[in-house]
Amino acid sequence: MKKFAVLQLSSCAGCEAALLNAEEWVDRYKLTYMPLVTSAHSLPEVDVLLVSGSVRSDEDLHSLHESVRKAKEVIAVGTCAISGGVAHLGDRDEVRALFLAEAERRHVPRMLPKSHPVDALVSVDRYLPGCPPTPELFMAALGELPDFKPGSSVCQECGRRKVREIRPEHLTGFMQGEVLPELCLVNQGYLCIGTSTRGGCRALCTRPGHPCVGCRGPSNAFIEKESTAWLASICKVFTSMTDIPAAEIEAGLHSPQYAMFLFQFSDYDEYNRTPHPKEKVL
Amino acid sequence: MMATLIFPISRIEGHARVVIEEVDGEAVSARFQATELRGFDYFVKGVPAEQMPVIVPRICGVCATAHHVASVKALEDAYGVTPPPLAFKLRELLLLGQLIQNQATSLFIFTMPDRMGVASIFHAAAEADGSETARTNIALQALRVRRAGTNLITAAGGQFIHPVKAVVGGMSGGISAETAEGVRQELTAALPTARDLFDIYWQMSLELRERIGTWGDDQPAYYLAATSATFPTFDSDTLHLLGPDGAIEHSFPPRKFRETLTFQETEYSYAGQSSYHGQVLRANSLARINLARVLGTQHADAYLQRFRQEFGLPAHGILLFDLCRGIELVYAIERSIEILGQPLDEGWAATAHTPRDGEGFGLVEAPRGPLIHHYTIEKGKIADVEFVIPTVHNQLAIERALIVAARRYINKERVNLELERAVGRVVRAFDPCISCATH
Repeated sequence: MKKFAVLQLSSCAGCEAALLNAEEWVDRYKLTYMPLVTSAHSLPEVDVLLVSGSVRSDEDLHSLHESVRKAKEVIAVGTCAISGGVAHLGDRDEVRALFLAEAERRHVPRMLPKSHPVDALVSVDRYLPGCPPTPELFMAALGELPDFKPGSSVCQECGRRKVREIRPEHLTGFMQGEVLPELCLVNQGYLCIGTSTRGGCRALCTRPGHPCVGCRGPSNAFIEKESTAWLASICKVFTSMTDIPAAEIEAGLHSPQYAMFLFQFSDYDEYNRTPHPKEKVL
Repeated sequence: MMATLIFPISRIEGHARVVIEEVDGEAVSARFQATELRGFDYFVKGVPAEQMPVIVPRICGVCATAHHVASVKALEDAYGVTPPPLAFKLRELLLLGQLIQNQATSLFIFTMPDRMGVASIFHAAAEADGSETARTNIALQALRVRRAGTNLITAAGGQFIHPVKAVVGGMSGGISAETAEGVRQELTAALPTARDLFDIYWQMSLELRERIGTWGDDQPAYYLAATSATFPTFDSDTLHLLGPDGAIEHSFPPRKFRETLTFQETEYSYAGQSSYHGQVLRANSLARINLARVLGTQHADAYLQRFRQEFGLPAHGILLFDLCRGIELVYAIERSIEILGQPLDEGWAATAHTPRDGEGFGLVEAPRGPLIHHYTIEKGKIADVEFVIPTVHNQLAIERALIVAARRYINKERVNLELERAVGRVVRAFDPCISCATH
């Protein structure tokens, strides 16, 4: 029986909760370590190590280094592990100063000066993006679904109808009440970026009516490029489908809810890393 | 001589440890330390207020639904908008789905291994040989009950971990009759499974009590819950404080929480602690069950009656928190089945509103107790924020129960190795959530 382990760094445990919604692994894999659901003091040798969460404290750093040595394959799971995720919002300069001055406590693990993605510190074999990835994506990553074929984009998996005759002039806020059930969210003025976000999630946000915020990262067309290429493609979609001013779109894309996902695969300047080859990203 | 005993804690949400100090065989202190922090208090400042309901569920993937709804309610309070009746029903379903998912996880995945004497319910499954499928079945059945809760969250909230459908003024859409019927059938199938598992759990708990000779710290305490004595709902607007005798001593709206409770930070944890006039507080399932008189569903009320007969009112033993979770699991499934039988896509789901600056409070009863989001909005952005987290209310109660356990198992001659197991049982009885408590 293959052995696997889950290392949860600083995170929300949403990736683990997603994994618990799949049950196919229960009698096929031996789960040797996952502190959320097992009591084991250290991580034994494993075939697959899933790492979730960002490296935020010196304890995270230590357990990451200790754990990857024991794994044949390391998969970074979820936005936090891939880019720092929501915790990465704490790396804005004005926040960081305040944060480190006020939040530090004497008798607990120290906060690192900033939050790091996992592959900034150790080598990662594969990436499973999503906030969180769906149970189906987890099973596909574990090799349990050989026939799984993700759509090329969220848009392709969504099925909402695009029409030419409705061209919104301004962005609709998120909190504007009921959303029309069948019509494309871009036609309804939402900043939906599903046109170029990686498929595979089965459009689980856009179908019930929330615009795609890009949590799965860029589709294969953009994943090996700078994030500016992804941003440009989104702007192009809005120019062709709406009359919303470009500045409004740009501001929206740079707002926290989008920024934390839009920049997850590309902003590696300070680490001197190459882009992620698409073969490594599910 | 002084010794420090350190216990990392697993089978809870997040990173925490217990540190016990003993001097010459006497336990002198017990601390529950939350050892992680991401800093939501700091980094959501400046975030457009309307983005909060999708950002703050990321505080915790276990309690995400509670944060999603509390966030929307805080904005509605600030904007002065009231959702239509349909939205209340849908939000109640969201919170019930969360309760099903959480109580199933806490009972069967976090604490059942303590009663079975295994490290994990999944180890039990993997180690069972071909002839012994009972343990594998427990793991699979537990996951199925849990998943019925997740599917309810998905139907009512859109995304399955971090919901998206609660919006200011209501919900972005209802649940179609077809979807509602599918979830209703899944929950109907999950109900007998949940009851069977809970019956096994109750029996195992009695055996545990027999073996260790205690239900744990049973000194009286104050209890805090935002549900009600009859027909509890979780989309709430009032908190109740029960005195040590179980009577309601004080009821207050969320905007009065600072003048009612005392909050304190320490150097040994990234989470704070709260108290009531210097007294230990307890939130979570036991607080709600001590408040409850009638739940209003058939099987849950039968369990409630049995609980009362065996343990009295109010009940104080901490391992009873776990049994109360089972009663609530059954209640949440039964109540969801009732609501899903009603039309959930007729009439409007959201009231129109105009955003404005100001201050708002959003309260829900999360699985771990009352959760409050408090926002100050300036120029459409978050200027200040407070997240009042249920686990923080339990911090002092956890430490008191730990010292009771430590004194039981540490004496001049030796430290009884049962202490390590006792520490795990004590902490898990409170089902703390560290991601939430530190955020």
